[in-house]
Amino acid sequence: MKLEDVIVEDVPGKRVLLMGNEAIARGAIEAGVDVAAAYPGTPASEILETLALAAPKLGFHAEWSTNEKVAFEVAAGAALTGVRALAAFKNAGLNWVMDMFMTLVYGGVRGGFVIAVGDDPDAHYSSNEQDTRFVAFYGEIPCLEPADQQEAKDMTRYAFELSERLELPVFVRSVTRICHASGDIELGKIEKPKRRPVFDKHYGMPWRWDVYGPPGPVEKHRWLHGRMPLAKKIVEKLPWNKLELRGKPKFGVIASGIAASYTREAVRALKLENEVAFLKIGTPTPLPEKLVTKLLKAVRSVLVVEEGEPLVELQVQALAKDVNPRVKIVGKRTGALPPVGEINTDIVASSLARFVGKRIPKDRARELLKAKAKPLVAPRSSTLCAGCPHLGTYWALKQALRKIGGNVPIVNGDIGCYEQGGYGIAGKEIKPSFSSESVSYPIEAPYETLDTNYIMGGGIGLMQGQFHAGYKDGRVVAVAGDSTFFHACIPAVINAVYNKVKGLFLVFDNSWTAMTGHQPNPGTGMTATGEEAKTLRIEDIARACGVESIKIVDPFDLEATTAAIEEALRGDKFAIVISRRVCTLQAQREKQFVGKRMIFDRDKCVGCKICVSFGCPGIVFKDGKAGLDPIICNGCGMCAQVCSTGAIRVGE
Amino acid sequence: MAELIIAGVGGQGSIRASHILAIAAIQDGLRARVGETFGAAMRGGAVASHVRIGEEVYAPLVQADGAEVVLALEPLEGLRNAVKFLGKGGLLLTNTRTWMPVDVNIGRASYPDMRAIEGEVEKLGGKIIKIDATSLAQQAGNVRTMNVVMLGALAGTGRLPLSAETLKQVVRENVPPKTVDANLRAFELGFKAVQER
Repeated sequence: MKLEDVIVEDVPGKRVLLMGNEAIARGAIEAGVDVAAAYPGTPASEILETLALAAPKLGFHAEWSTNEKVAFEVAAGAALTGVRALAAFKNAGLNWVMDMFMTLVYGGVRGGFVIAVGDDPDAHYSSNEQDTRFVAFYGEIPCLEPADQQEAKDMTRYAFELSERLELPVFVRSVTRICHASGDIELGKIEKPKRRPVFDKHYGMPWRWDVYGPPGPVEKHRWLHGRMPLAKKIVEKLPWNKLELRGKPKFGVIASGIAASYTREAVRALKLENEVAFLKIGTPTPLPEKLVTKLLKAVRSVLVVEEGEPLVELQVQALAKDVNPRVKIVGKRTGALPPVGEINTDIVASSLARFVGKRIPKDRARELLKAKAKPLVAPRSSTLCAGCPHLGTYWALKQALRKIGGNVPIVNGDIGCYEQGGYGIAGKEIKPSFSSESVSYPIEAPYETLDTNYIMGGGIGLMQGQFHAGYKDGRVVAVAGDSTFFHACIPAVINAVYNKVKGLFLVFDNSWTAMTGHQPNPGTGMTATGEEAKTLRIEDIARACGVESIKIVDPFDLEATTAAIEEALRGDKFAIVISRRVCTLQAQREKQFVGKRMIFDRDKCVGCKICVSFGCPGIVFKDGKAGLDPIICNGCGMCAQVCSTGAIRVGE
Repeated sequence: MAELIIAGVGGQGSIRASHILAIAAIQDGLRARVGETFGAAMRGGAVASHVRIGEEVYAPLVQADGAEVVLALEPLEGLRNAVKFLGKGGLLLTNTRTWMPVDVNIGRASYPDMRAIEGEVEKLGGKIIKIDATSLAQQAGNVRTMNVVMLGALAGTGRLPLSAETLKQVVRENVPPKTVDANLRAFELGFKAVQER
């Protein structure tokens, strides 16, 4: 059965396998969500992808918005009219939302409003490990934190009800191991009543939806603050907050969200079921203080296990000061658990063993064997796909920078598949430099091209600061993708024109938000639900922003792309080069692109490795000569343009 | 209880294979968890999908030395995961076809040869079965069915707590309709390759 059928199936009690993100979507569907908006971001993208599959069938609205802030506002706007709305994004996406978020909470909402965020401890797919539960704490709204996929579904469903009861947005915080893990879950009933949107500007409070309207922001903050006692009362009774306390144990464990799943298994593996009291937390904020108090009064020491920063631990510590100052609280704050990276059953088990003073026997001989085997395990650095248009653009950029002269350019990166231009080569040891001058480094592969990279839209701003600082040791360049351009670059482009910046802005336009799994964006010509949409062109927007030098090139034509980039670098303007070709994977799926037959002549190969430095995973190098892996190669033909001896050719 | 890791390179279908396994487990009345670990991009990175099947499973990740089988769609990825996760008496069931890391291509690392991989696995108390799954997939009519060849091979080892028939049925229901025949042939070829060793 396909996901698009499973997700709308109204068979309560049926057990199915769902990914956490799909489970969150299913929870929203069961709650009868009316409007859902998101911007893609791993690990949270599949929430809206799944909702978009269901939306046409069930008659609600699901959209990919241009960025998270817009998505949040779209969902919030719907909730103000009394319908149920959901906004979803990854950890970093929430940062874009903060302005509206911190202000919206002052008046709350009328319809249920759920904010589903995917955090990414261990930064598997993210540029940081931020713990967004603090945002819920900061904004004084409840946060639900699932321990598995079943809870992800059930909590999301319930979050709408809680939101309406409190008249506040409710946060559902998942992590990669929920979002991108699958579990067997039992489906619930799908709610069908269609809510009619209504509007009343003084609903429940004068000027409810206008923070400046009297009684003004301070009084509205007071109202928000006044919601907390009710929230605290409610969370005491939720099934996801549960204390297991038998007999008179010395030790207590408090575990929130996914940490509860790891902890449950660790307790079982160490056979500590009867020695440890276990408090499972599903609402890290507000905490079920009565349950926590009961535990704090019953034991001598408590280990707090959570994914991210010590949010629960800090609150438990504060509460302990009032209710049982003698109880010892340990966790991430005290070094009982590692303060960075993600946790797992092994980490929790060893922490728990130390906590209760139990020895886990170690197999030293085996550890030694494993340590000896490690050097055999060659690293596998992430690469762009075979035949990726970005390979051509990076190659052209490298050639153009080389042609204009041997200095130290700064290439500012951004977020998208092309960010791999800054992933480096894992197998290459790099020592830190302490030079007081600008330093140039060789680029062995496209993955060493980017010099800076932080966030979406970051590069185009950084480049302007470098220009205004008077950096003269090389050109300043910024790169961004098409989706990133729409998401975050437009104000920065206007800023560059307005403040007279000179430099190159290179746009990698592959028509899709590819890295997160090929979602459509305003440049694709399609909405989230597959409906035809107006295709916005980056050149039109750039022109309207006042950019005078705009060139569009095809990255499969390496010579022309190099020439366009070189011309822009030599020019005396703020120039945009748009390197445009549909993502090869997507083009193959849509049968727009059929690979060419590539011919490799081993006799002609001199082993110069130029093709290897092109960085395509379809090219291999063995015994002093290059070669093509016919299974990986997509037949784009770019390597034939790179080969200096004619060893690689495009066949008939 | 069954604890497995399906390892490979992005684009080889390890996540799809792990989902097929978990769905089959649920259909056979068991509970399942799948934890996916993959790089940021679509293709080319190291991918490992943890599959846990049993009556009582909570966490989505296999513990160190906790895997009974590492099913490797690519040998280096098999070794990477076996060193960390394969338990004593465990099995590394691996495709023999390599996918060279860029680190190796540019000369910053070397790819271990198959004998070295075997040696390490045996030293750690594991067993190894190698099959040329990529060639079998080509024989089945579609090189992209390699992941299903490996699932067939896994079923052939008899180490799964679920029936090969259920697994085959789930393959049928979870691959693109046009590729059903090739996938079923792939499954059989993998199954036989292990049984006839």
